[in-house]
Amino acid sequence: MEAVIDVQGVEKMYRRKVHALRGVDLRVGSGEIFGLLGPNGAGKSTLVKVLLTVIRATKCQGTLLGSTVGDKSVLRQVGYLPEHHNFPKYLTSKQLLRHFGAMSGVERAQRNRKADELLEVVGMKDWANAKLGSYSKGMRQRVGLAQALMNDPKLIILDEPTDGVDPIGRKDIREILTHLKDEGRTVFLNSHLLSELEMVCDRVAIMVHGLVRQQGTIEELTDGQSGFAVRATAPISEDLRTQISSKLVGIDPIATDDPTELVFATGDAEKVQPAIDTLRSGGMSIQAFGFRRPSLEELFVKAVQEHPDGARPGAQRKGARS
Amino acid sequence: MILMQTKAMFIDAYRELNAKKLFWITMMLTVVFSLALATIGIDESGVSFLWFKIGFLPLNTDIITAKQFYLAAFSYLGIGIWLTWIATILAIISTSGIIPDLVTEGVIECMLAKPISRVRLFLTKYSTGLMFVALQVAAFSVVSMLVIWIRGGYLEPRILLAIPIVVCFYSFLYSVTAFIGLISKSTMTAMLITGLFWGMIFVINLGENIVITFEESTRLYVQEREERIDLARSNTIKLLERQNPADEEYEPSEDEILKMNPFLTNFQIELENDRKDLRTLGVWSSSIFAVKTILPKTAETIDLLNRNLIADDALMGDESEDEPIIDPQSDIDIDQSELNRNVTERFRERSIAWILGTSFLFEGVLLGLCCWIFARRDF
Repeated sequence: MEAVIDVQGVEKMYRRKVHALRGVDLRVGSGEIFGLLGPNGAGKSTLVKVLLTVIRATKCQGTLLGSTVGDKSVLRQVGYLPEHHNFPKYLTSKQLLRHFGAMSGVERAQRNRKADELLEVVGMKDWANAKLGSYSKGMRQRVGLAQALMNDPKLIILDEPTDGVDPIGRKDIREILTHLKDEGRTVFLNSHLLSELEMVCDRVAIMVHGLVRQQGTIEELTDGQSGFAVRATAPISEDLRTQISSKLVGIDPIATDDPTELVFATGDAEKVQPAIDTLRSGGMSIQAFGFRRPSLEELFVKAVQEHPDGARPGAQRKGARS
Repeated sequence: MILMQTKAMFIDAYRELNAKKLFWITMMLTVVFSLALATIGIDESGVSFLWFKIGFLPLNTDIITAKQFYLAAFSYLGIGIWLTWIATILAIISTSGIIPDLVTEGVIECMLAKPISRVRLFLTKYSTGLMFVALQVAAFSVVSMLVIWIRGGYLEPRILLAIPIVVCFYSFLYSVTAFIGLISKSTMTAMLITGLFWGMIFVINLGENIVITFEESTRLYVQEREERIDLARSNTIKLLERQNPADEEYEPSEDEILKMNPFLTNFQIELENDRKDLRTLGVWSSSIFAVKTILPKTAETIDLLNRNLIADDALMGDESEDEPIIDPQSDIDIDQSELNRNVTERFRERSIAWILGTSFLFEGVLLGLCCWIFARRDF
């Protein structure tokens, strides 16, 4: 798959003290929806800003849409919605879209057509001529999304696009993102709402402490952590656990905090039946049995917990333990 | 695309101004002020306001032409008071937020993520700030030109020179506003520092005016004393020669002259004191000149308009009407008209290249620093 974003060893150090990015390697393929996760201060926004030339990287190798990162001309093909956007309140949404369209080099006729079209897509057509100052946060977010699409971008970078948007609006935005993907565009999402990302992302990266710790499809990331789970009505004794282990040779158990539960790294239900039999013969009742895959949230929490400093808000200072 | 982006930024700036009440209040006041010129009339019987004659003003069309009268009113009231002071203060209040607003979080990211270089983005945004003043002074000049045409009977297109001159004048101050706004990200700080800077320039200009007036009056004293000493000396020599009629070759010595006229010694001492004062004042005026060279020349820039519009004799008044200044200590009179002329000449002998060149250099250095900071800063 052709890479839309392909960067290696991105570093950003602020005032020679704060190490915000510590060698980020990231690859985003064309036509996919890519999610970047991470706790506060992990460096997600800094990375996005480096790609968009808002921040100058201390070190950066790689390309954005085939051009070297930092090349302004390539931004003509990029749409961007920042997290804390502050669009001028004196403009109407139609004027805002036309303005940013012009700033991206969209011709006048196309600008006018596209503005009307996009306002309809994001459900803001009836508010096209109302000033942004009168909008709710969710409405501004919708207009912001439309703004990011004015130049028919090949790559759309959205920082917390569903922030402040109601459930219906979130669903609408998810549909828009899926539609953009169907059109062959690449969407790069930066969000804290893991359930939202899980629903739409093809691939995700988990960033902790200025480094990408994991990267891949959700299946790839959960590989070895998903399997069939058996839950008994009472805590399972160590004796029974040993018996089950001896019967399920070649199937790795997956660690779980629940004492009533056993999880096995296999997708074959038949292979887990001896465990159920052993539990029953040991006088235990089975409460539940089924396939279990960790949620994105669980993956995220696990990744952060593996790097304790990563849970701390703010970027790491130079010299601190990684 | 460059033109498209520039146009978009100017349209946006206009919309921003349009959304501000202060912009329209200023525009309205500007037009009202220029229309107020139409309420003043002059004819052979004197000056009038609306339908009323103003008796205490000793002016009529025998003394000054209607054209000169209106041009002087435009220059002194319109430019000297309205555009230079009131409108400029309103302009600083209205435009000092442009750069701090640009670098606000949530705005700057959207702009920098567009295919436009940082330097061009900054300079275009800077130019939009000058648009406020350009619109204001354009409205004022056009209305004033029409008023003078209708009331004075002369169409004077040179009035439109006010547009570039006042925009230049404002740009010198606005470069400070932009620089402080970029560094501090605060509209209030940018506004206050610009005000202080302007005040500092005003004080320096005032100081220079005072020093040059003293210097020129001292120079006139020195000239007058030299003439008096020469006269007294030649009279004394004639007197001594008359006392020695037998000797045709007689030439009185210095001692004999001073013995005959002991006041000459005091005159010489006073002359030397004045020369010393003149040298000291010369050092002061040169120092102020050197300081001013690196600063923007706001007053001189505005005066460029007067240089073009108003004839020198109209500026300096009628010599015969001026009362002479009498120095109580030396009883030396100096001609106020001559002093005014000399002071004005001192300022007007400064070339346009010096006035505008050094001012633009100041602006260029500040803008260069702004561009350097803006291009390197992480937002």
